[in-house]
Amino acid sequence: MRATGIGLVASPALAACGRGFGGGGDDAGDGVTLNMVWWGDATRAEKTQAALDLFMEANEGVSIKIEYQDSGPYQDKLATRFAAGDAPDLMAMRMDSLREYADRGALLDLNEYSGAIDLSGLSDNASTLAEVGDSVFGVPAGLNAIGFVVRKDLAEQYGVAVPDGDTWSWEDLAAFAKGITDASDGAVYGTGFEAQTLANIVVYTRQRGEDFFTEAGELGVTAATVQAWFELIGGMRDEGGFPPAGFFEQIGGSPDQSYIAQGKLASQIIPTNNFLGYNAACGGNLALLRIPGETQGTRRGQSIDCPHLWSVASASAHPEEAIRLLDFLTNDPEASLATGTTRGVPANASVAEEIKDSLEPDDQLATDYLIALQGEELPRSFTYPPGGSAVFDFLDAIAVEVEFGRQSPADGAAQFIEQAKQAIAG
Amino acid sequence: MITSTEAAVMPEAVAAPARPPRGPRRRARRDRAGYLFLLPWFIGMLFTIVPFFASLYLAFTDYDLLSSPQWIGLANFADMFRDPVLLKSLKVTFVYTFVSVPLSLAAALAVAMVLNRGIKGLPVYRAVFYLPSLLGASVAVVLLWRYIFGLDGIVNAFLGWFGIDGPAWTSDPDFALTTLIILHIWTFGSPMVIFLAGLRQIPVMYYEAAAVDGASRWRRFRSITLPLLSPIIFFNLIQSIIASFQTFTQGFVMNNGGGGPANSTLFYNLYLYQQGFNQFNMGYASAMAWTLLVIIAAFTALTFFTAKYWVNYDN
Repeated sequence: MRATGIGLVASPALAACGRGFGGGGDDAGDGVTLNMVWWGDATRAEKTQAALDLFMEANEGVSIKIEYQDSGPYQDKLATRFAAGDAPDLMAMRMDSLREYADRGALLDLNEYSGAIDLSGLSDNASTLAEVGDSVFGVPAGLNAIGFVVRKDLAEQYGVAVPDGDTWSWEDLAAFAKGITDASDGAVYGTGFEAQTLANIVVYTRQRGEDFFTEAGELGVTAATVQAWFELIGGMRDEGGFPPAGFFEQIGGSPDQSYIAQGKLASQIIPTNNFLGYNAACGGNLALLRIPGETQGTRRGQSIDCPHLWSVASASAHPEEAIRLLDFLTNDPEASLATGTTRGVPANASVAEEIKDSLEPDDQLATDYLIALQGEELPRSFTYPPGGSAVFDFLDAIAVEVEFGRQSPADGAAQFIEQAKQAIAG
Repeated sequence: MITSTEAAVMPEAVAAPARPPRGPRRRARRDRAGYLFLLPWFIGMLFTIVPFFASLYLAFTDYDLLSSPQWIGLANFADMFRDPVLLKSLKVTFVYTFVSVPLSLAAALAVAMVLNRGIKGLPVYRAVFYLPSLLGASVAVVLLWRYIFGLDGIVNAFLGWFGIDGPAWTSDPDFALTTLIILHIWTFGSPMVIFLAGLRQIPVMYYEAAAVDGASRWRRFRSITLPLLSPIIFFNLIQSIIASFQTFTQGFVMNNGGGGPANSTLFYNLYLYQQGFNQFNMGYASAMAWTLLVIIAAFTALTFFTAKYWVNYDN
């Protein structure tokens, strides 16, 4: 849901009706029962179960008790279960929570099991996602990135050319957006995305040669960059290409309810693994572009991300079985065929290639986007330090203050840096 | 944590004890039966008492849920004074309570008085007006509220007829709390039902006598209804203040769990939840919970203190 939760379409409306999960220790007979938990909807569960059935067929004596729910309550429940000494064996782990758990010794270092799990099929961009120092505390459950989607039909209708998605700049975006808004007489805004979504500002920060979070786990982004980001969006808003303050009322929600599907926006940023859903909601009229500014910046800004990681609890009573299951999910093409792209493109590059042809065309397009991106030289991104989720809360509040003109971009940026540094320092 | 104030506020609710049976053995048997009936309550209390004292202990520790708590004395409480977000959340909660509680009680009393005039189909009306308070704190209604007050929602369409360009009720930090206060006022159902019961207990002869003496409607309201209803108003006031200080769902749902826009709906309890579960500061969250208990107790005590000046108990 938050910046790293890209890739899932979860509504907080479900927050109150998540499936409970509790009590993991009912071993059936002499076999081993693994407890595996994640967040997601029923479709994701069905696909995951299909893969797990394959695993259980091949591994006599291992049964898997699954539990899943919506992402908000999942987070609470997971923390509570760890607190109660009842950690699940294998679990979905949010990127911004990884170090909260790992730094406190709650997760298994997969490097100690390097004989049992093969991570050599992962690209560098993917395998470093859960790396902290010399340890690896998780495997990406799938890969995604953010991409810019543009409504081709609206661009044509208002006579504005869709820019070249590989080389366009932020100025090109502003010109495109203004063109759409002007030509539609304000009925459609040219572009719109959230200033406070971490995934968005992170790309911009990287393009300027800074890391949002540094390798040492400190805040790397400067006030100048945050200010420039606010001003970039503010400038487009003043020109009319970007919607006015208060326009974005509903964050999240399904592709069908999105502003771009409703025809109120001509372009926006989405997680690539949602491309299939968004394109269907937009009648197949979407073009998938890269984020602007990739060729003009100091360096590349885009990075490979993941909807979530799979981690194993250090307190697991059956670490070997849990790791075997993790290896199966990561490296066996049959597993990925069953799960599809519900959690993004398979992390293992050869598995991704192998299952690509069986995917729907829109999924293939998104998969190609990601495979291409992985083959490129992208600067490494560093994972969230503990306290990272508080950083998001501050950015969220300050971005709105700036949006409504209650604070200048410069003041907002300075205040954000001060608060974020304090949050990370603990 | 908050126990019902009902018994204290409504002394008439305490029934006179039945005549006690004679003889020690009989008494023992009677007591045993009594405790047996109380057993479920005792078992239930365990689930309250244990976390209650656990959180009191945790309030003095640094506890991140994953490693064991470290005793840090009063540091959590000291940190609270230096936490600007916490002060902001207190402000949000105070504004919400002190604006919405009087307004919603006034609305409840007004509707109760209208319903008390002996209209036909009273149970139906009563149910209709009560319904929102059952739903008001529910996720579905807060979401519905978001649509009603959306940029293209009913409210702005209505304002549009008068040439008013409505604001972004839910996403503008200047209006988001107002929207939630309106939602709260709308959920006046339970105080209304209690008011209605209270109004029915006021003997009609008082009004008849006053009417004979030529008292105006306002005069009858001021001199008969308000004084005789004051214990009920007092009860409703305390209940509403306590409930309102603990508001959570509205702020949670309005902005996807964040208390936004710009923390303008970050209720105290919502911030407590964020600290405990999102940021792994369970010790700090426990300290916040106990501070809230003290704040609520202080306001309840203050209300009780003022009671002797305006609550009329002699019938």
